[in-house]
Amino acid sequence: MAAIVAENLSKRFILRVRPQGRFAALRALVRPERRIVDAVKGVNFSVDEGEVVAFLGPNGAGKSTTIKMLTGILTPSGGGARVLGLDPARERKRLAWSIGSVFGQKSQLWFHLPPADSFRLLGAVYEVEPKLLRERTGALVERFGLAELMDVPVRKLSLGQRIRCEIAASLIHAPRVLFLDEPTIGLDVVARKEIRRLIEELNKRDGVTVFLTSHDMGDIEKVCKRAVIIHHGEVVVDESMKTLKHRALSRKHVGVRYARPTSMDLPGLSPLKRTEQSARYEVDTNRHALRDVVRALAERGELVDITVEDEPLENVIEQIYAARSGAEAAAVTRGGSA
Amino acid sequence: MRKWRLAAYGRFMAAAFAANVKSVIEYRVNFLVQTFGMMLNNAAFAAFWAVLIGRTGAVGGYGFQDVMFVWGLVSTAFGLAHILAGNVRQLGRIIMEGSLDVYLLQPKDALLNVLLSKTDVGAWGDLLYGFVVLGLLPGLSLERLALFCALAVPAAVIFASAFAMAESLAFFMGNSQGIAGALSEFLLSFSLYPEGVFGKGLRWVLYSLVPSGFVAFVPLRVFRSMDWPLVPALWGVAIVYAVLARAFFGLGLKRYESGNRMDTRV
Repeated sequence: MAAIVAENLSKRFILRVRPQGRFAALRALVRPERRIVDAVKGVNFSVDEGEVVAFLGPNGAGKSTTIKMLTGILTPSGGGARVLGLDPARERKRLAWSIGSVFGQKSQLWFHLPPADSFRLLGAVYEVEPKLLRERTGALVERFGLAELMDVPVRKLSLGQRIRCEIAASLIHAPRVLFLDEPTIGLDVVARKEIRRLIEELNKRDGVTVFLTSHDMGDIEKVCKRAVIIHHGEVVVDESMKTLKHRALSRKHVGVRYARPTSMDLPGLSPLKRTEQSARYEVDTNRHALRDVVRALAERGELVDITVEDEPLENVIEQIYAARSGAEAAAVTRGGSA
Repeated sequence: MRKWRLAAYGRFMAAAFAANVKSVIEYRVNFLVQTFGMMLNNAAFAAFWAVLIGRTGAVGGYGFQDVMFVWGLVSTAFGLAHILAGNVRQLGRIIMEGSLDVYLLQPKDALLNVLLSKTDVGAWGDLLYGFVVLGLLPGLSLERLALFCALAVPAAVIFASAFAMAESLAFFMGNSQGIAGALSEFLLSFSLYPEGVFGKGLRWVLYSLVPSGFVAFVPLRVFRSMDWPLVPALWGVAIVYAVLARAFFGLGLKRYESGNRMDTRV
């Protein structure tokens, strides 16, 4: 069963533009200038119950706007969405009982109070019976390792500790779908790893559907099974992480280091980086057999080290963004010259 | 079912109030300074009126005791509104900066949720000041205290509703802080002056757009004659203003544009 469905979901913002030049402010008062921005342009996708889906895109692609329409914060300008069978725009309050959300930039915890107080208040917001609230809080405290943080005012917690508390707080009403918008933003490596583990566990143990946006490829590779990529308000890729990674498999990064300065020229390959004794190549294995490249490099001189790595997923996604932007630019040029 | 929902809302309001009080108590000294500072500030105005009426006699039909009652009631109602709905004067900014998201994600009424989620520290001084004034007025009795409370509650609801409506203009105008601030100041200022000093035309405004009539003028008449039967009518007016505020906020919510500001709940 689909937990989330977006059908031609669109959002148009009308922005006031500050005019330039003399008497601009006066002109704006009489005849304000406006600009239409189509932040989300008819996106379609669906997420099954129990799935963990990454929702990716560069800054300004429309990720947060889409999430805000799926949670009922924003009213769509066109199309529609169903989350757990409900229309978020019309049934926002009903939907709120069954979804949880963590926006890395917006806190639902009271800044001056310890998390324990926020948990109690959220229990009242979600009408969780006191006994059940105590049980759930206890379980969340144990699972998220919050025992020593529950009585410390939120303002005194580190960012990583606060995000752990935020995620735990968003689960106080046992939601079926969890929306996470940049949950690891600003966290160090250890805290990020911890948050990923918790998200994985939530999905595996409790079957919670997770819809995650993140700029951190580590989050996505480790946690998600599928990726929906949005660019300039349109879905450009919707495929499993396996398929996405497969795109990366045809490209390898080969690093080489020699004992002495060596000539490393290889026909048809130019290095990404190069010093007198080392180089790094990106090899398209459809064009160059990997074993030939490695053999050729080994014959150039006395090897100290040679490494072969898959292309980072980050680069693959970057190429998707770039290819899409290039295609759009070309389309604009064609349209302009027609 | 409805009873159960009301009880749930009651629990939510009590929990929000408790959290707000705890949040304020975190900074005890600030709380005490603001509370007593506000009382002192209000007392200065009382001294001004004492001198004025001492020299000129009644002003606009108000004697010194009337002025003191109005100051006390308006102060307590204003304080109560800002203690319970501490975000009411921040609502426009919250809307403009796109900080409503957290409240919209929860299954409680968004307006009630955002208003209740903060308390205004200085408002405790306003609340207490009204009771101090009542205590100083001659003829203090339990009945007068009960009537004072019965009048202060609807006045607080009207204050909060009127401020919320003015602040909700932010949905339609973007930055509405100027006009919302002016409307709020009008309401407060007009409520503190005797009804008799305003012309007939303005009085219409004072019983509609700027409802000073319902937070000060009518309550004074009720208090002077201990006219209990009028109290339910004032509660009815308060409910009408609350419903209007909720409807206006709901209308604006459809135009809400959110934002990406970093937010914390304080």
